[in-house]
Amino acid sequence: MRAPFRLQFEQRTETPRRLGVLVPLISVLAALFAGALFLLATGHSVGDTYSNMLSDGFFSSTGITDTLGLSTVLICTGIAAAFAFQMNLYNIGGEGQLYVGMIGATWFGLFFGENLPSFIMIPLVLIGGALCGAAWIAIPAWVRARLGTSEIVTTLLLTYVAASLVNHFIYRSGSYFRAPNSMFPQGRQVPDSAMLSPIGDTKMYPTFFVIVLLSLALHWVVRRTEFGYRIQVISDSPRAACYAGISARRTTVQVMLISGGLAGLGGATLIVGSFQRLDPGIVTLGYGYAGIVIAALARNNMAAVVVSGILFAGLRSGGDKLQISTDTPIHIGVMLQGAILLFALGGEAFRRYKIRIVRTPAVGSEVTA
Amino acid sequence: MTSSTHEGAQGPHHASGAALVALEAIGIVKRFPGVLANDDVNFDIRVGEVHTLLGENGAGKSTLASMLCGLYQPDAGRILRNGVPIQLSSPRAGLQHGIAMVHQHFRLVDRFSVAENVVLGSRDLSFKLNRAELNDAVAAVADTYGLPVDPTATVGDLSVGQRQRVEIVKALYQGAEILLLDEPTAVLVPAEVEKLFENVHAMTKTGKSVVFISHKLGEVARISDRVTVLRNGRVTGHVSSKGQADAKELARLMVGRDIDLAAQRASHPIGHEVLQIRDVSLVASGVNVLSNISFNVHEGEMVGIAGVAGNGQRELADVIAGLLSPTSGTISIGGAMSTDRGPIASRELGLAYVPEDRLGVGLVPSMSILDNLLLTRDRSVVVDRANVRPEANRLIDEFEIKANGPEHLARKLSGGNAQKVLLARELSGGRTATKLLVVCSPTRGLDVGAIETVRRLLDDARSAGQAILLISEDLDEIMSLADRVLVIYRGAIVHETPGATALLEQVGAAMAGLSQAGGA
Amino acid sequence: MNQNIWVLMTGDSVALATTLILAALGALFTERTGVLNLGVEGVLLTAAISSFIAADSSGSVWVGLIVGSLAGALLAGIHAILAVVLRANQIVSGLALVIFGTGLANYLGKPYEGKTISVKLTDMTFGPLTDIPLLGPILFEQDIITYVALAAAVFSSLYLFRTRPGLEVRATGDDPATVDAQGLMVSTIRIRYTLFGGLLMGLGGSWLMLAESAAWHQAATTNGVGWIALALVVFASWRPIRLVLGAVLFGFTLQLPYTLQAENITFIPQAFLQMVPYVATLISLIALSRPGSTNALGAPKSLGVPFVRDER
Repeated sequence: MRAPFRLQFEQRTETPRRLGVLVPLISVLAALFAGALFLLATGHSVGDTYSNMLSDGFFSSTGITDTLGLSTVLICTGIAAAFAFQMNLYNIGGEGQLYVGMIGATWFGLFFGENLPSFIMIPLVLIGGALCGAAWIAIPAWVRARLGTSEIVTTLLLTYVAASLVNHFIYRSGSYFRAPNSMFPQGRQVPDSAMLSPIGDTKMYPTFFVIVLLSLALHWVVRRTEFGYRIQVISDSPRAACYAGISARRTTVQVMLISGGLAGLGGATLIVGSFQRLDPGIVTLGYGYAGIVIAALARNNMAAVVVSGILFAGLRSGGDKLQISTDTPIHIGVMLQGAILLFALGGEAFRRYKIRIVRTPAVGSEVTA
Repeated sequence: MTSSTHEGAQGPHHASGAALVALEAIGIVKRFPGVLANDDVNFDIRVGEVHTLLGENGAGKSTLASMLCGLYQPDAGRILRNGVPIQLSSPRAGLQHGIAMVHQHFRLVDRFSVAENVVLGSRDLSFKLNRAELNDAVAAVADTYGLPVDPTATVGDLSVGQRQRVEIVKALYQGAEILLLDEPTAVLVPAEVEKLFENVHAMTKTGKSVVFISHKLGEVARISDRVTVLRNGRVTGHVSSKGQADAKELARLMVGRDIDLAAQRASHPIGHEVLQIRDVSLVASGVNVLSNISFNVHEGEMVGIAGVAGNGQRELADVIAGLLSPTSGTISIGGAMSTDRGPIASRELGLAYVPEDRLGVGLVPSMSILDNLLLTRDRSVVVDRANVRPEANRLIDEFEIKANGPEHLARKLSGGNAQKVLLARELSGGRTATKLLVVCSPTRGLDVGAIETVRRLLDDARSAGQAILLISEDLDEIMSLADRVLVIYRGAIVHETPGATALLEQVGAAMAGLSQAGGA
Repeated sequence: MNQNIWVLMTGDSVALATTLILAALGALFTERTGVLNLGVEGVLLTAAISSFIAADSSGSVWVGLIVGSLAGALLAGIHAILAVVLRANQIVSGLALVIFGTGLANYLGKPYEGKTISVKLTDMTFGPLTDIPLLGPILFEQDIITYVALAAAVFSSLYLFRTRPGLEVRATGDDPATVDAQGLMVSTIRIRYTLFGGLLMGLGGSWLMLAESAAWHQAATTNGVGWIALALVVFASWRPIRLVLGAVLFGFTLQLPYTLQAENITFIPQAFLQMVPYVATLISLIALSRPGSTNALGAPKSLGVPFVRDER
């Protein structure tokens, strides 16, 4: 039998502006509501959990600076994802590129750090990390452009390889990256010249401002330059790009390398910032994966990534502190990330279509022959 | 309920003289956002007749047919089958009442066999498929109406005409008594049209009813028992019996005014060669797509390339535009070699190219008119939109483009206005002044007003001395515009004739691959 | 190396292939209707922890398998709502499902961290058949779900290519507009098989938990098997029988690090052995790629494209 009702989708020709703000906002609220139901069902206190998360994430002075500190790497992986996504290139291996960026940044720090001054070392380490991140995506980028191999699966598979690599460098005895004279497998600290000091008494580093400026600069590049114009043409209609003599192949490789580089840069900001060494614990943090959610919530807009990146950093940072303040598992933070994205996606439908419920008449039943 | 379906089958025995109404639509209204597609339309179809719905693109013919087959539901009005009111809530409901539609864009799964396509969605198909049995059943239905198809063939390998036959067999297999054929001749060469008309007669003889949807006056007069003319969603006239249909009168009813789509040809001397194609061949994945093509196009000349879709015309245009490299042979534009130098170099030699797909190839749908003007031009590292805006405004005025200004998005333009934007960009020249214009199916899907404008623009360009290569599947268009007509068949030029003296039958035969001779 | 280790490895490959076959079959059915569900990894994890909790608290592996499968279908249901009903971007929806599923599984699994389950799916015995040299241990010393998975692949092939619903599934994946014009409900078909696909993935995830791992180790429980399953579907050209062959090959690479370590073969660093399955998958994906379209491989033509009836 047919359902008595049917959803009818009507493509909107004009999207009301307010929906652009309203949809993400409602998604976040709906996800929090769904999370609340979940907390209740598993016997945790909703009020305590959320109020702790909010105050630890946003509304206390240490909370907000911790959040901004954490947001640095998240904005980085966010723009990494968004930059590729806007051209329909789904680089979801930002996580792995971040690991490799960390490895690269650490190597540059360890190798050059003793001899060079800080004002050369910091850019060198950051750029080194970015280059290694870009290198890690080079194969997926090249085969995608040449052979059309799905970058989704290739970049993701390489993340597992990168994780093994991180572990290898730390757990193998005598490794260059491993702290000598240490009983426990842990990374060797980079020299002082390759480290930044936090701003005042906070966990924020100057890299935060660099990354925010970088996001805005990329936003400008996408909107105003010939490179951005090419990206827009290719993402909207590859055949039009071909018609106009725009090489989709070359742009694909360029965009993916930049995306991988940004994720690698994210890894490097951790080295010059709070990590200071290659730490195998990175593989459990999922900063790269979070970038996917951040980008999607910002609808791949580089400037909006800054906002959604800070929002997510707050959720994460607040969530991580839950373990200490309450007995709620910290994974509620990651779960909420996923839930927000799911709701935002659902909301997207209301932005793009006018959805109406139509009554469907029963088939031929009225006919009395 | 199902019994009503079979009543029609007994119809012919007593329907020979009497006008038994099989299906009737009364007071049909259908709105789409911003459009009143059908406004109080009345229409009926008798057992064993061919009733034509005539109207230009966008008149509401397909919308009405879609409601008659259950694809859309009317906002108001009633539909009666054998005098009994029915609800057609889905195409399946339509089929249950013996109504089936053959869409203009075939609804066939390319990778399936003919038999699989025919039985897909059939109500009384067993869970387990017995291929041999199905093949036999499909062949049996096809033979009854003289529609030769091989049930085991893969649909993707069939010609357009054969696919149409599969669609008709599918409708008949599913018990259709009323067939709605949406622009069935649009994709056929003249010989195939004849074959289709034979099939239609075979069907009406056994009591099937056929609703024939068309905008081609000539064939309408031949095939129809009755004609209903639609314009802007309203019925503007009925012509009720064979032979009475006067083409001129029908045209007036259809368009609402007298139109002039008569022949236009160069009335001035033709100049130097602008495009020279020498022995161009193209082999793609082992198939000869183009073989040894040679011809020239001169200043102030329009050369038309006629052919059935898929005979290499799209590739020929792409090769000339520098989008594809020929396997062998050379192309020169304005005396300079352009072979293998890519689209930008070709444009720098004076090429302009209006591709067949306006939105998605020629224009980027999500971009503004302004940004679309930049598509084929030189762009500085930082895109300087302010500099182009005045020109955009000027072109919008000059080409009478209905838009809110340069920021209007391409995808929100009507088909005619999108084509005008495309022509405005290509004719106005970007990197250099346009010397050669390659246009593919420039008027497909446009209403009569826009067709007139586009043809005028092409004619003006020709008068201004530009060389034009017109590639179209619309034979009438080529016959009435081109100074010289070439016919492409399986990637080769098989026929050449001056436009003024071209004979429709000869060109049509060449398109179907029937002519060995020809002056290519 | 002696012969025993090869027998052991091949047997383990067939066993490890179970999850791959089930997860990839689930993805195959989903994709055959044109829906791309990239959330396999999240579905596997959620199903694994659900089956763990259910089996642990009920003391029955069967309850665990059923609950795990249903959890898989439930999660796939989210994707069905977003991708089919609301026409969302299927790629992003699938990724959201991975993130959500991973978070959910870790959240639910927190109290069970590192714990071993009390019940376990045991291997079946076929009496003397097991004693056949070479083939015996490989073919006749597996648990029931492994046989179920192999049978499921064979039945899936028959179903897809020899039955009416199979015809409709393939048509929906290739050309939904045609299916719609035939009066079949595209959305209903897509939702149905997305859910069914989730059920199969869920069974695969449960099996991984109840027969293979027996202890909950967060994301390391699945360790990317879901992604390998997705690659496997491409590898198999969307055909169930080829999928089984591919699964055994990939299963071989998956068990390699463990078997070699158990046999004290250490001349290759463990980390590099762990990379083998991912690198092997990567290489096979690249080797299968051709410039131009993926259709040549047999991908459903409407894969990943939401269906909206063209109502002007």
